[in-house]
Amino acid sequence: MNLRKYLGLSAASLAFAIPLSVSSVARAETHGYVISWFATATYNLDRKASCPENRNGGRTENYHRQLTQIGYTEAEADEIMKTQGGTLEAKYETRVATRGSVNGKPAIIYNYPESVADPNIETVVGKIAYGFDLGVKNDKMKFEDPDTHQKIDNQLWRAVGCTHSFDTNPPDRPYFEDLTWHLMIDSAPAWSVMLTGDDLSKDGKVTITMDLLTQHLKRDAAGNVLTGATYVIDSGPRSHNVLQGEIKNGVLSITPKDIYLEGEMPFYAEIAMHDTHMRINMKSPDGTLSGYWGGFLDWQRYAYMYTARPVNGQDVVGMWHALKKFADADPDPKTGQNRMISATWRMEAVPAFLATEEGKLVASPVPVSTAPQPEKVAAAPTN
Amino acid sequence: MKTSNRARRLLLLGAGLLPLALASSDHRVRAADDAATAAEPAQSIRLSPSQYKQSIADIFGGHIAIAGRFEPEERTEGLLAIGARQVSVSSTGVERYDDLARGVAAQVVDKDHRDTLLPCKPKAENAADEACARDFITAIGELMYRRPMSSAEVESKVKASSEAANTLHNFYAGQAAILSDMLISPKFLFRYRVLEPDPNHPGQQRLDAYSKASALSFFLWNSTPDKMLLKAAETGEINTKEGLKRQVDRMVSSPRVEGAVRAFFADMLGFSEFETVAKDPQFFPRYTLTVKDQSQEQTLRTVVDHLIARQGDYRDLFTTPHTFLTSSLAPIYGVPLIDKTDNGQPEHWMPYSFQPGDPRAGILAQASFVALHSPAGRTSPTGRGKALRENILCQAVPPPPGNVDFKFVQDTSNPVYKTTRDRLTAHRSEAMCAGCHKITDPIGLALENFDSAGGYRTTENGVQIDTSGELSGVKFDGPAGLAKVLHDDPAVTSCVAKKAFAFGAGQLPAANDAEWVGIQKKFTDSHYNFVELLRQIALSDLLYKLPPSKVAAAAGQSVQ
Repeated sequence: MNLRKYLGLSAASLAFAIPLSVSSVARAETHGYVISWFATATYNLDRKASCPENRNGGRTENYHRQLTQIGYTEAEADEIMKTQGGTLEAKYETRVATRGSVNGKPAIIYNYPESVADPNIETVVGKIAYGFDLGVKNDKMKFEDPDTHQKIDNQLWRAVGCTHSFDTNPPDRPYFEDLTWHLMIDSAPAWSVMLTGDDLSKDGKVTITMDLLTQHLKRDAAGNVLTGATYVIDSGPRSHNVLQGEIKNGVLSITPKDIYLEGEMPFYAEIAMHDTHMRINMKSPDGTLSGYWGGFLDWQRYAYMYTARPVNGQDVVGMWHALKKFADADPDPKTGQNRMISATWRMEAVPAFLATEEGKLVASPVPVSTAPQPEKVAAAPTN
Repeated sequence: MKTSNRARRLLLLGAGLLPLALASSDHRVRAADDAATAAEPAQSIRLSPSQYKQSIADIFGGHIAIAGRFEPEERTEGLLAIGARQVSVSSTGVERYDDLARGVAAQVVDKDHRDTLLPCKPKAENAADEACARDFITAIGELMYRRPMSSAEVESKVKASSEAANTLHNFYAGQAAILSDMLISPKFLFRYRVLEPDPNHPGQQRLDAYSKASALSFFLWNSTPDKMLLKAAETGEINTKEGLKRQVDRMVSSPRVEGAVRAFFADMLGFSEFETVAKDPQFFPRYTLTVKDQSQEQTLRTVVDHLIARQGDYRDLFTTPHTFLTSSLAPIYGVPLIDKTDNGQPEHWMPYSFQPGDPRAGILAQASFVALHSPAGRTSPTGRGKALRENILCQAVPPPPGNVDFKFVQDTSNPVYKTTRDRLTAHRSEAMCAGCHKITDPIGLALENFDSAGGYRTTENGVQIDTSGELSGVKFDGPAGLAKVLHDDPAVTSCVAKKAFAFGAGQLPAANDAEWVGIQKKFTDSHYNFVELLRQIALSDLLYKLPPSKVAAAAGQSVQ
């Protein structure tokens, strides 16, 4: 598998797909959405089973461990941490950050994570994780999906699931991705999802089109992503994806395919997933979508999002090494090191109007009542 | 007069806020100013925030930012414009005006603006230059005080600015200090109506020419008179019928008339009340602060477009499908708005027309009306009906009794009374409530398709909403039906005429006055052209008359 090669082909072929997808809109019902949340899928309902040693710790434990890695004894590290107020002052931080060595010279560990030894962070040994069966031939490493109860592949979760920032369950969000998501969405172009089918309220075949938008997301009064806003689709072919899918019992799945959406740091620089599977719930009363994407990622590109800088509460070098160890697809022909890792993302999307750059409306929100019903709530303010 | 004297006393207290360099000379400045005021005004009217801002923009340019809060306004007989006659400046207000003044003055003399806003350059920047200061003060003084400054006034300001410049070793700081002082002067913050003997009617008094110019300018432009109007006052042209007509025709054909139309409708529709409007984001997440601000602008753009650009019939404001939206506002209305603005750039205002038969027609279906007159978490047909009666129809609605029981109205989860109509019907079973609710509720309930934030709905607690109603004996159904009935109700046009007059005159017209009857007829004959209404009021003697009590008081007579 060569994702870059695939992407080159994809861009060229998708240039022809645009007029096809737009023309099909005229014949069928098309609902528009914008992606309102996207991140590593977490599962921690049984944290003890997943991470029984609980040894990765949080920010304080991580700093303590790093102090010992630059030569302090356990006792010395204890004493230092007593004076640090939960953080690490610059003189220690700098030494921690530059403790790597490349060709005999000091190296910044965030740029050269392999310049220091693998700290062997704790990784997931539990049995449950969200995901899809991607066909990896290693039954011992498979998880069971809590919704479908099928054996699934998600070694990314195995690698990172015991680190502090992932100790959440949906709808709560993993700390770091939540933080960077909010940093990104007020400035970076958003992503759209367009569903086209004969009757999207019923089971049947669906075409899913995903694109980059020309504008960033709008927020509502509660700080969430606004529903019912209008966005313009970026006409560039690079982030244009057309997938075939099917709705069964209100759940949308797709014929596996590669997906590419241009992103922006400090969040994902790209949403690039090979052999993507989807399981999207369409039954929410307010018309939102929520569910999971699973497939293979370039583990280095994923790791870069975390390891390129110090992230509170996480041993980013440890994460690098864990991701590398658990990568389970696309071996490098020279080294044998796998370049891809099975992974699952959680995504949510809210209804939106979508238009082309030429000003043509191509999708409308799912027709649920746009009016909130506060009268249903006993605690509604009555002033 | 009582009001202006109080304001002056307070402003004297506020003088301590001025730079120390100026404070030492302040009393002398005030004394000279007071001596220069030839006649006591018969009436003083405090500038509204929009008049303050527009005046600054017209005198110094629109790029001067005005940051800060204004003294609260007083709504009287439904209009802030009437209340402006009755307000002074509190001690807190002095501080607020002083903050505003310092901000404006600092910008006028800063390096970005001084070369264009000052008529001269000083001989040296680190010392006083009386000649240059005199040119500056004379130029701005006429526009700020709306009359030429006397030589004594100018010289006292020049002296004070020179003292400040020499003390601070900065010519521009001296000009900023004196400009700040002028900006908190009652002569700027208040419009005075000064009387003089009327040569055409011996024994009677009339507004002097500069007061008349101010009245005209704030009525038609919501701002200070321009140089041409001041010249017409200086020459007496404004006191002739032909001269007044020339000025009025010039002014109503100017784009600046939009400022007055905006200010009037913002006042009539009660937009100042938006300051306290909030919606619960849990229930109305689409109602953002941006939406709150933009909903007012939407209505004002609709009004300006219909009444000025299209020269439309005023009555059609209640049925027009044409409006303007932004990409933030469109979700409130559940419609798409394709704004191709580059990412991160400010939103565009775009024209939008609702489809024929859409219940959104007219300004009362806009969020600025239905959201303004609704509490945070539910609708209020009573509040909406009251606002409609008072603001649009000029009909009084008595306040509720002090011991009113809201148990039915506010119980939005009552399993028996599922809709607001049900709850109000139960509430009206109490005799003391029934009388007023009969006035307000039948029209307010017609707008129940619009939730507290302006979103559209057809059901409440799972029950279909009944939007039927009745106004002046005419039955209708839904917001579009209400709009049609309002369109045809003569009270709508007579009300706007009365309020437009009061916006300029600071008082409601006498109903049976022959001249007023004539103005209304001309409004009708013009197919309710609002700009023509403004023109007729501006041409009438009524705009420039004071109540008899004021005239008598100014003449030192007792009023029986």
